[in-house]
Amino acid sequence: MMMPEDGNIWKTAEAWLAGTLGEAELAALDQRLAGDPEYAALFREHVDLLRALRDEGKERRFRSMLKAIHEEVKEAGKASPGTRVIPLRRHFLRTAAVAAGMALLTSLVTVWILQSPTVRKGSSYHTLVHMQNDIAKIKNAQYQQHLTISKIKDSLERLAPDAEVNASGTAFALTSDGYLVTNYHVVNGADSVYIRTREGRYFKTFTIAYDEQSDIALLKVEQRHFRFGKGEVPYSFAPGKSPLGARVFSLGFPQREIVYNEGYVSARNGFRSDPGQYRLDLPANPGQSGAPVLDAHGSVIAIVTANESENAGITYAVSTEALHKLLHTLPKQMNIHLPKYNRLGRLSREQQIEKLQDYTCQVQVYK
Amino acid sequence: MHTEQELLAAMAAGRRDAAEQVYHAHYPTVTKWIMANGGAEADAEDIFQEAMVVLFGKSRSEAFRLTCRIGTYLFAVSKHLWFKRLRALQRQPRFLADDEADTATDRAYEDDISAHRERELHYEQLHAAMDRLGEPCSSLLKAFYHHDKSMQEIAADFGYTNPDNAKTQKYKCLTRLRKLFYGVQAR
Repeated sequence: MMMPEDGNIWKTAEAWLAGTLGEAELAALDQRLAGDPEYAALFREHVDLLRALRDEGKERRFRSMLKAIHEEVKEAGKASPGTRVIPLRRHFLRTAAVAAGMALLTSLVTVWILQSPTVRKGSSYHTLVHMQNDIAKIKNAQYQQHLTISKIKDSLERLAPDAEVNASGTAFALTSDGYLVTNYHVVNGADSVYIRTREGRYFKTFTIAYDEQSDIALLKVEQRHFRFGKGEVPYSFAPGKSPLGARVFSLGFPQREIVYNEGYVSARNGFRSDPGQYRLDLPANPGQSGAPVLDAHGSVIAIVTANESENAGITYAVSTEALHKLLHTLPKQMNIHLPKYNRLGRLSREQQIEKLQDYTCQVQVYK
Repeated sequence: MHTEQELLAAMAAGRRDAAEQVYHAHYPTVTKWIMANGGAEADAEDIFQEAMVVLFGKSRSEAFRLTCRIGTYLFAVSKHLWFKRLRALQRQPRFLADDEADTATDRAYEDDISAHRERELHYEQLHAAMDRLGEPCSSLLKAFYHHDKSMQEIAADFGYTNPDNAKTQKYKCLTRLRKLFYGVQAR
C-alpha cells in the first residue's frame, strides 16, 4: 500500500512516543500495525528516529549540565583538600614552577612547529635563516635519497612523519635491539612518538613503561628486527651513585644536530635534595630532556631531566638507580638486559662521542 | 531524594540537583585515582563525565536497575575507560604499582560501555545527517531537539506566522532526515 509522506505519520509517531495518544486512536493504530506489516515497518522507522533525536538531545543537555556542575565543583574544590592529594614530589616539575619565591625549573623539552619556526628569544635573524636553510637542505637531501632508493620500506623510514611535531627531546639506547630511555614528560600525552637515528631515519616507538615520579620512560622501536648502529651498546650503566666532583659529559638535541656538553657533579642530590637525582654543573637547553649523562669512563650515570629556569648552567638529572628500579618492575619475559661491558673506557673523548652518536637519537612527539 | 534508585531516576529525568549530588559525591575519588595513575586533572574531568553519561544512558534504558552503589559503578566504569584510553595511546599501565586492569568486576561493565559506545556512534551519525540537511532544517531541528524550544518559540525565532506552520516545516525536515538517515527511496 502506498502511503503519502505527510505530517500525519509524524504526528502519530510523536504522540505514541510521548504517550499522548487517546485510547481510541491507540486501538486503531494497533489494529493497523497488526494488519499492515509495511506500515508497521514504516511506523517503526519514524518512531526510532524520533526516539533517537529525543535521546540525543537529552544526552547533549546532560553533558552541558555536567560541564556547568564541574565548574562549580572546581571553584568549591579550590578550598577543599579533597581534589588534590598527590604528594608534592610526583608533580614537583609542575608545582615547583607555580610556587612563588622558590627556585623554578624549566623542563628541557622544546616545543616547536616544523612548518613555521618561531624566533626563539635571543636568536638573531641570521640564526633563523640558518635554521630554515638547514630544513630546506635536509628536505632536498631526503628527496634525492628517495629517488635512489629501490626498497619502499627503506624510503618510508627516511621520510619524516606527516603531522606537525609538537615537542622534541632526546633518547638513548638501552639495548641494541631497540629499547631506549627518555623522560616521561617528553612522551606524556603524546599520540605518537618517533626517534630519529644518526642516519636520519625515523622509527615509530611505543612507550612500554614509565615512572612519573622519577620522570623516566622506556621506549621500544616498533619495527621488528630493528638494530641500533654497529652492534652491542658500548656503554654500561653505573650501579651506584657517582661522587661529588665527578667529571661528566652529555650528548643531546637542543637543535636538530647533536650537541656535546661537559661539566661535573655539583651535588649528589638533585632538586630540593631529591636523592634520586644529581645536580650537575652542565649546560643544557630545551630538547635535551632525556639525554644521557656519562662519566669519564663512558658509564651512564644519569638522564637529563630539567634545569633551573634562572640558570641554564645548572642541570638536574635522574640517577640510573631509578632506571634500574623501573626495569626491575617489568615482567621477565621482556628480557631487557642492560649491557654488561663498557667498551668506551680506554677511548679518547672524541672517540667515545663518535661511538655514542649511533645510540643517541632525537625524539619527536606528536600530540 | 532518599534512595540511590530515586536519585538515579531523578538524574535520568534531567534534574540538575540530582546530577549535582552524584557529581559532588563521587568526582573526588575518581579524580584522585586517575591522577595517581598517570592522568592529569583534565583527563579526570573527561573520564568522569563520560562515566556519568554511561550511567545516564543506562538509567534511561528499560528495566534499569543498578545492582551496586552508584559510587562503585562510577569508579569501575571510570577505571575501565581510563585503561582503554591509556592502551589507545600505547601507554601500558601494566607496569605501575596498581595493576587493577583485569579484575572480574571491571569486565562486568564492558557491556554497559559497549552499549554506550554504540549509542554515541548512532548519535554522531544522526548529528552528521542533521548537518547535511542544510538550512533551515538543520537549525530548526536543533532548536527543537537540542535546545528543547517550544513550537511557539521556534515560530518566533524562525519567522513563521504561527506554530502550526513551524510544525509543518519541522515534519518536512524530519521526512528529509529520515530519508537521509535510512537511505530510503520516496514511497
